[in-house]
Amino acid sequence: MQMTVEEKDTDKVASKSGATRDIFLPPERQRVRDGGNPHVMAKNFSIFYGDFEAVKKVSADILSKYVTAIIGPSGCGKSTFLRAINRMNDLIPSCYTTGTLMFDGEDIYGRYTDEVQLRKKIGMVFQKPNPFPKSIFDNIAYGPRLHGVKDKKVLEEIVEKSLRKAALWDEVKDRMERNALGLSGGQQQRLCVARTLAVGPEILLLDEPTSALDPKATAKIEDLIEELRGSYTILIVTHNMQQASRVSDYTMFYYEGDLVEYAPTKQLFTNPRDQVTEDYITGRFS
Amino acid sequence: MAETTLVGGKKSEAFVLSPEKLRRQRIAKFIGEGFLLTVASFVAIVVLFIFYFVAVDAIPFFQQRGFEEFFTSTGWYPADDPGEFGALAIIYGSGMVTIGSALIAVPLGISAAICLSDVLPFSIRQYAKPVIEMLAAIPSVAYGFFALVIFAPLLQNHGGPILMWAWWLIAGPFVLLAVVVAGDLLTSRQTDESRRKTMRTMLTGVLGVIAVVFLYWVGKTLNAIQILSGTNALNVSLILSFMALPTIVSVSEDSLQAVGRELREGSYALGATRAETLVRTVLPAASSGILAAVILGIMRAIGETMVVWMASGNSSHIPDPWYNYLDSIRTLTATIAGDMGEADQVTGSARYHVLFAMGLLLLVFSFISNLVSERIVIRQRKILSGE
Amino acid sequence: MNLGTRKILDRSFTVVGITSIMLMATALLVVVVPIFTGGIGAIYFEGTIEHRKLQYNEFGKGDRGAIERQIAETEPYRNEVFRILDAFGDEMETMEPGEKRNYLSKYKKVRKMLSRLLGPLPGDQKPILLRYQYGSTRWEKAEELLHDLMFVTKWDYSNPDEMAKRYFVPRADEFAGTALASLFLYLENNLEKMLLPERTFYWGFLTDRSLDAHIFGGIWAEIQGTFFLAVGAMLFAFPLGVIAAIYFTEYARDNFFTSILRSANSTLAGVPSIVFGLFGLAFFINTIKVSDSKSVLAGSLTLAIMILPTIIRAAEEAILAVPKTYKEASLALGSTKWRTIVTVILPAALPGIITGGIISLGRAAGETAPIIFTAAVSVGATIGLADVFTMPTPALSWNIYNLASEHEAANEIRHVQYGMVLALISIVLLLNLSAILLRARISKKLKG
Repeated sequence: MQMTVEEKDTDKVASKSGATRDIFLPPERQRVRDGGNPHVMAKNFSIFYGDFEAVKKVSADILSKYVTAIIGPSGCGKSTFLRAINRMNDLIPSCYTTGTLMFDGEDIYGRYTDEVQLRKKIGMVFQKPNPFPKSIFDNIAYGPRLHGVKDKKVLEEIVEKSLRKAALWDEVKDRMERNALGLSGGQQQRLCVARTLAVGPEILLLDEPTSALDPKATAKIEDLIEELRGSYTILIVTHNMQQASRVSDYTMFYYEGDLVEYAPTKQLFTNPRDQVTEDYITGRFS
Repeated sequence: MAETTLVGGKKSEAFVLSPEKLRRQRIAKFIGEGFLLTVASFVAIVVLFIFYFVAVDAIPFFQQRGFEEFFTSTGWYPADDPGEFGALAIIYGSGMVTIGSALIAVPLGISAAICLSDVLPFSIRQYAKPVIEMLAAIPSVAYGFFALVIFAPLLQNHGGPILMWAWWLIAGPFVLLAVVVAGDLLTSRQTDESRRKTMRTMLTGVLGVIAVVFLYWVGKTLNAIQILSGTNALNVSLILSFMALPTIVSVSEDSLQAVGRELREGSYALGATRAETLVRTVLPAASSGILAAVILGIMRAIGETMVVWMASGNSSHIPDPWYNYLDSIRTLTATIAGDMGEADQVTGSARYHVLFAMGLLLLVFSFISNLVSERIVIRQRKILSGE
Repeated sequence: MNLGTRKILDRSFTVVGITSIMLMATALLVVVVPIFTGGIGAIYFEGTIEHRKLQYNEFGKGDRGAIERQIAETEPYRNEVFRILDAFGDEMETMEPGEKRNYLSKYKKVRKMLSRLLGPLPGDQKPILLRYQYGSTRWEKAEELLHDLMFVTKWDYSNPDEMAKRYFVPRADEFAGTALASLFLYLENNLEKMLLPERTFYWGFLTDRSLDAHIFGGIWAEIQGTFFLAVGAMLFAFPLGVIAAIYFTEYARDNFFTSILRSANSTLAGVPSIVFGLFGLAFFINTIKVSDSKSVLAGSLTLAIMILPTIIRAAEEAILAVPKTYKEASLALGSTKWRTIVTVILPAALPGIITGGIISLGRAAGETAPIIFTAAVSVGATIGLADVFTMPTPALSWNIYNLASEHEAANEIRHVQYGMVLALISIVLLLNLSAILLRARISKKLKG
């Protein structure tokens, strides 16, 4: 397995504009190389739990290699939407979808889609750090082994690379055989990121990755996201608006299942178009 | 692993399958789940098989002998020619030890369950639970050995004093408690506080003296009893109650735990004592679960073989008088276990099939009790969850 | 009601609860303690020279030289007994026929008891049964025998309202004035020198085969039989149970069919154990004929069916206790459902599943009723692993019943029975204890 993270080049500017529709202006902050193509495209995409429509007819493009934050009050459908992208909602028996959700030009919910192969490309990190009760090494190597890597040398290489990318290598390199549950919460969460990276995904879905962590650990995760920006398409669900404005290039605001507003982060936070968005970001409700 | 790239528009390694591959994957999944389902259905198949094979060997008996003799006669002479197959006394014996063990195990088990769930601090509970598990783990034949070799001679040689002391120790406190409560209740109409107090003291005193005399007299009567054989219904009932206790305690405790804290706090807030809270509020709410526990415990007692085989005396007659627990009895399970040794020489005879008829009786009984207790538990869960 | 009375009621309520718990603990002690002390007696007792002789002759254990030296030590005392017997024999020859007949039966009784005490007497034929080839191997039995030899037991029926009373008459009185009269006092004073009791640890009780239907020897055949039956049952029930539990927790949909399956599971758990025995006989032996008659295989299959519901339930609970996040994490890494189960869920649930398995193993080892018709024989040789498909086996649980209730000399081999019960209880309780400890460790581990 080989990682395909492009070296981040801070001086260069992306050749393409990155926007496919007029409202999606390129972010003011630093642009990324080869980024800005629609990576995940939703068209009239709805998610139901039984009769309840949790996400209502969303149409949006998520741009490659940028960080997109999803915000909104709890129960607004933001997590549901995120989990739909790698079909984790399949675990809920009563859940079904309508409309289309495309990834790389193929329908995620298509008849011939294999959700297992799909999840390999769309990795996910969960709210609570959830390392397996195995050694640190085995945690990272779990994915590569699953996909057929057996050579010990290659595995070690992948593990080191992934841990380095997740900025955890220096902290754990001497205790790779220890149980991962012995790490601190923040370390566990970075381990989970590393574990996801080891599979070589194109997209990283982060479902409130810092909600269970203290401020210090949160800062490290945010630094990590900044590091990964430009290498992966990142979607992060967060209930913390400061976090969204700190780490993301674009922000989606969901309210009661509707995608109310989707705009470059700076624009959304400084000049929201919609009244509900403004009420939310100014803290009138939460 | 193939190299994955992120160049816009270019498709990376496919997560979309070809129709051929999809079909293969579906077939594999179907076979896999089919295999799991088959294994999971194995239990159901076994249950059907048990009913079928026991019934198939039981039916010839009823064809040959009809139903009447089996259920109404007490003559049990299977070895005679022609044999008699009246199982009434045996069914009665099974019922007798079951009721006897329930009389001991149910009050004991429920109070132990209440104690575990509401009275004892957590630290003691941690040690009490393994004790109950150990009690459940001891093999039935070890209990049978204890009943036959240790307890039966004790009962035979010192039966009277044992009964007397058991009566004094168990009934004594309850009778005295009843005296106190009766004294209180009988004077509750009296409104004048000081007169009430004197009346209560006097009444309690008089009742207390009567109670003590009563206790002493019953004890002395019990002391005079000579137990002819230590292998009797009392011995078996006692041991069976030990064996039913763990089931009753653990299932009742689950049911008591299922009653939420809110209910208890509501009752305390109204000024009820702990006992009143438990008796008036918690127990009624948990009653159906406790009933299920009792049914399961009784099932254990009625289905138990080794203890009754070893320590019941195995004489198939209805005790005289009918409630005489100091008499020997015989039960269905012990009959099956004891008679098969001779009967399987004569496979096909009524003597062989009658044992399956008894097995069928036990099976049907356990099936019904199980069904009932299951329904009860489901109903309780629904009520408690407010559906 | 008066507040004071209410408080009294409340207190007594608490007392009743605590008493009931204590009663249960006492019940456990009352059952376990006598069995424990009695069972120790099978291994640790005062063994006589006869015990050592038997051990050397039958099992080749012990130091030949030492035993011979001890035998030589006892010879003078034993010879004195034989001399008295001979003298009395000679004396009888000189008696009148009537008087001789009178003494003869009594004399024969004494000789018989003596041979039970010391082994075959000179002039006796070599007995065929092993139990008559040796004297008392255990000192406490020798003392009982000595008492029976010294006194004749008589019953007093004079009061018809009460049960008959037992009383003893010295046997020496029966032989007053003859040469035999001196025998009894001599025996009482010198029995110890004839038998040389020593404190003995007989570990062979657990590993020796039984001799002459458990009159002598150990219980290895039973221990091995119990092991075969229980392990055999686990071999069938454990994989089936775990797979069924996987289906119930991970695949079963919430529908009528599933509820039928679950109902079947609890029905099976409630079936009386003796009915399993009937089913095993009717199905495994008479219908599909896994073996011609009783066999370990048939017994194991029957036990397997019996413990299946317990294993399924325990495995289900263990799997449900695995945090859902593990499953999500694995699936999100692109693992298939089945691989997630095998690589993440099962390893995490394994200690819990094993706990359930251990408890079931104990249950299979302790059950008697299902194996009565399918696998157990009272007396039998130790069987080899290859015989399990065709041969029945002795088993601890069954032989406890058999020796206590049906053995011809049940009263004389109480120590063997106690030893067997202790062995069985120890096996079962140790299994349960390890399960309890394992569970405590798991809950600690899950807490982190």
